[in-house]
Amino acid sequence: MTVLIVLVSLAAGGYLIAVLESWVVYGRFQPARPAISALALLGREQVLARAPDRLFFEAGPVVLLVAGLLAVAVIPLAPGLIITDLATGALFLNAALAYVLVALIMAGWGPNGAYGMIGGWRFLGQFVAYAMLIVMPITAVAMRAESLSTVDIVTSQTALWNIVYQPLGFVLFVAAAMGVCWLPPLDLPTAPGDLAGGVEAEYTGARLAVLRLARMVLIMALAGATVTFYLGGWLGPWLPAWAWSAIKILIVAGLMVSAGRLIPRVREAHYLEISWKLGIPLALVNILLVGVIALVVPI
Amino acid sequence: MTPQMIFLVFFGGAAVWFGIVVFRTRSMVRSALALLFSQTAVGVMFLLMQAEFLGVLQIMMMATEMSVMAIFMVMFMMDPGGMGAMDMTHQKRLSLWAGGIGLVAALAVIWLADWGPMGLLVPDAAEQTAQLGRELLDRSMFIFESAALMILTAMVAATMVAIHPSEGRKR
Amino acid sequence: MKGARDGTMAVLQRLAAAAMSRDLRGFVVPGADIARAAGVNLGGAGLHLSATPRHASVLVVIGPLPAGLLDAASVVYAQMPRPRAILALGTNDIAPLPVPDATGPLTQAGLEAAIVDLRRIIATGAFQLDVEDFGAPALETRTEYTCPMHPEVVQDTPGNCPKCGMTLVVREAAATSHAGHAMPEQKHKAAGQTHSQPMATSHDHAKGGHSAHDENHEHHKTHTKHDSPEAASQYTCPMHAEVVSDEPGSCPKCGMFLVPVTEAGENSGHDHKAHGKAHDKHSMENHHGGHGGHGKGGAIDGVEAHFMSMVDLTRDMPASADGLKMEWINVPFGPFFPGLPGGLRLDLTLDGDAVTTISADSVVGTRELLPESAATATAFADHLAALSPLSPVTYRLLACLALEQAAGQRVASDVARARIGAVERERIASHLGWLSGFGAQSGFGWLEKHAAALQLKLRGATASEIETLSPKISTFLARLQRTPLLTAKLKGIGQLTQSDALSGPVARAAGIARDARDDDPIYANLGFSVLTMTDGDALARLAQRSGEIAQSLDLISEAGIIAMPEPHGIGAASGTGEAAVETPRGAARLNLTLSKGRVTSVDMSSPTAAHFALVATVAEGRELGDALTGVGSLDISPWEVAS
Repeated sequence: MTVLIVLVSLAAGGYLIAVLESWVVYGRFQPARPAISALALLGREQVLARAPDRLFFEAGPVVLLVAGLLAVAVIPLAPGLIITDLATGALFLNAALAYVLVALIMAGWGPNGAYGMIGGWRFLGQFVAYAMLIVMPITAVAMRAESLSTVDIVTSQTALWNIVYQPLGFVLFVAAAMGVCWLPPLDLPTAPGDLAGGVEAEYTGARLAVLRLARMVLIMALAGATVTFYLGGWLGPWLPAWAWSAIKILIVAGLMVSAGRLIPRVREAHYLEISWKLGIPLALVNILLVGVIALVVPI
Repeated sequence: MTPQMIFLVFFGGAAVWFGIVVFRTRSMVRSALALLFSQTAVGVMFLLMQAEFLGVLQIMMMATEMSVMAIFMVMFMMDPGGMGAMDMTHQKRLSLWAGGIGLVAALAVIWLADWGPMGLLVPDAAEQTAQLGRELLDRSMFIFESAALMILTAMVAATMVAIHPSEGRKR
Repeated sequence: MKGARDGTMAVLQRLAAAAMSRDLRGFVVPGADIARAAGVNLGGAGLHLSATPRHASVLVVIGPLPAGLLDAASVVYAQMPRPRAILALGTNDIAPLPVPDATGPLTQAGLEAAIVDLRRIIATGAFQLDVEDFGAPALETRTEYTCPMHPEVVQDTPGNCPKCGMTLVVREAAATSHAGHAMPEQKHKAAGQTHSQPMATSHDHAKGGHSAHDENHEHHKTHTKHDSPEAASQYTCPMHAEVVSDEPGSCPKCGMFLVPVTEAGENSGHDHKAHGKAHDKHSMENHHGGHGGHGKGGAIDGVEAHFMSMVDLTRDMPASADGLKMEWINVPFGPFFPGLPGGLRLDLTLDGDAVTTISADSVVGTRELLPESAATATAFADHLAALSPLSPVTYRLLACLALEQAAGQRVASDVARARIGAVERERIASHLGWLSGFGAQSGFGWLEKHAAALQLKLRGATASEIETLSPKISTFLARLQRTPLLTAKLKGIGQLTQSDALSGPVARAAGIARDARDDDPIYANLGFSVLTMTDGDALARLAQRSGEIAQSLDLISEAGIIAMPEPHGIGAASGTGEAAVETPRGAARLNLTLSKGRVTSVDMSSPTAAHFALVATVAEGRELGDALTGVGSLDISPWEVAS
């Protein structure tokens, strides 16, 4: 039952974010747009490239969808409203996100085309940049909560949200999260101007619909993770817990989706440079600070 | 047969099957990703054996590592897609002997070692994680710290070796 | 509807067709820049553009296209999944493409009417029974055979390579030698796709396979080709050390000529003479630090005799700037690539994601400068303007000036000022169009939208309307300069030295103060002075073009009126004339001969032809995204490559 509720709310949230994304990209507010696009996609024929690696071509979008759903499985929407409350929830989230990389490599390699392949390998480069920046802020968050369970992490923020406690970690985590779901300005694997669609380019019809759906699930999962780790999950006065979750997740996902179009795409070399030379030292500093504060201040 | 045992057998079989696919397939990228899924199956087995932290860690690390291996294969190997009909294997006899000896050694260790009594009461996952943390920072700290330093040194050295020659040549 | 999908219009299909008619995705041919220059706002009419033909349902053809682009467009059309439709503006005949489903004049109103038609056609005709396949000359392929190690060896029949003996590999190639590859259908992993080998002798990384019939060929003694006259004791394959034979012949695995095994030979990465003692298959078991290779290279003691480690194989391969040696693949970008000017085709050889070689070409083809052998003055001016859709007014002015000089005419200064107004307006529109293209290429959505909107508003505006637009443009430019990460994106990319850069904003951004407007007294009266930057990289070119927009706004407000250039008082004059005009991309020069009021011979030099040579300087050795940014910053117009 909880599974059903979580999935339905995920679907509803994803739909709203898709409406927002099409508003940002195309300049028109059309509430029915995602439904129409999906229906149109399903009606188009599915083209298969010449000499593809069929297994990877088919498996790529599916693995991406599975990775997104597994990540969603550990996000708590309200006390008791979580698909599975693993004791190592935060780490499990990270493990699921690692399979995004596997999915994109498959999707890039499968169609046997240069644009897709370069897109897939570019995502690997992007992964090398964001991998540490996803894990290290989670470490600091778990330090405060003294547990890896996502529910415990939320309840540890009752006195003070982590965004105020660990703002540095928040900034690093959000930047890395945008890299995970390749949102602009970090959309290197599917860059329309550089790679004409890159990883997505050879997918048509129903497979493309699955790929796009999987990406939306991933965006919702990452927004949910940001809210869980830094914005206090379901905590808040007056409104019921699920309402706070919904509002926060929608706001974070909306910002992630729309903020990136105001800056040009980040160069791969530059992204790697700032992630490793600036990001990782800052993440270490964040862990140190959190450790010291946690020992000294009793909240 | 409890469900746990059934799943253990299934994932164990999957791990072995993916391992066989690693060297039976012609495509190198498929080989790397088959190894990845073999390790994922091992990670799931850890989860089934209620070693939750270890299982999740195994699943996470192996995904990353095997993907990087896949790109190295594409970089350095001829015909990474396996589309050519040429046989790309080398040293077949050596591999067979090494594999056979390794199998015998592993089986010997499994059957002849004294694993101690079976622990029937497994602490729950949160408690396991906490105990693991204490172990890392207490008794095993030296091992892990020195391993971490060695890995860091290796990374720095590899990067320096890779950059240095071309710096002289190009710039 | 020609491009319908096979099926009947049952309930589900009807729903899908209705959805498709509401969700139009277009792929523009020759490019969004041409659409904007023609004054057509595709997004505003509800036709959203997609980056790849695979995601598009409508092929939008803008204006009459030359034959080369139509061939390329037919390849793009074939790549679109069904149901697919064609919308043609400003032209009706687009053979070899099928008859367009909706047509209209090249105006915004024409576009909107055509879209209404198109929606109706898709909603009713998206699924039909017995649809016919689409074929075009550009899509035909033929099979050819090539050697994986020697890509220059190509023949039409299967066989062996005359140089090394390897069995030739089959591959598909275009039937016509240079059929425009609109978008890459890259099968770089399929057997035998060419890739440039840096050294013909190196066998490393010859990808691709061999004809299937060789797989079962286990028998050692096959052919009796003799490679060397020496009677060596044993022969082995340079690539497969385990294949050993007592007689010369071909390797059963790859077909290469067997070479004699010599004692204590050298094992360099390229020279594959077998070395070390001859070993048969059992040598693998020789673990006693045996007689592996003695050469300088990578035989590992105790292991396979001539094991070629990857360090060896890649030792002397040329490396790209980041030091990694990867497979080389050939990838075409264009001619309708979304991030590049429409009609420009780039052939890149990529080493991973770094560009090793690049060659640029215009698929537009060479066109005749004279519409007919003895053209009238107005016909000639119109023709020259139609030849370059990105800057028609400037070329029209060029024709008028040359004609008037040939006829010995001089125009009044107010006419001259009005002409300057028109040319400067076009300069602003062209630079705004370039900014929008840069936004599209770098995923900078805000820039793409705003620059396009400003360009469309300004294109046909009168001088007073431009006065009101001017502050908006200034705030837009200021906001652009303040964009975070813009410097990081562009600094140091596409660096050109003073000796490289040739004309136009590209030269001025590198510090060369060359501008054809400099020696025009009327410009001097309006207060013109040459604007230059110092750095010569892509960021400087962006700043240069922004500066020129501001400068042109000032010139227009000084001039006060705008009027199209028309040839004045040519009559039946004769003579030769030459003129130079600063187009938005650089100086263009025109020489013509008039006889009795008709143009008989023409010679023109345009700036872009020279800029093609700069593409290699800007892109080679760079990462793909940086290379494309660099090429985009040159603002090449493939339409200005005249015959």
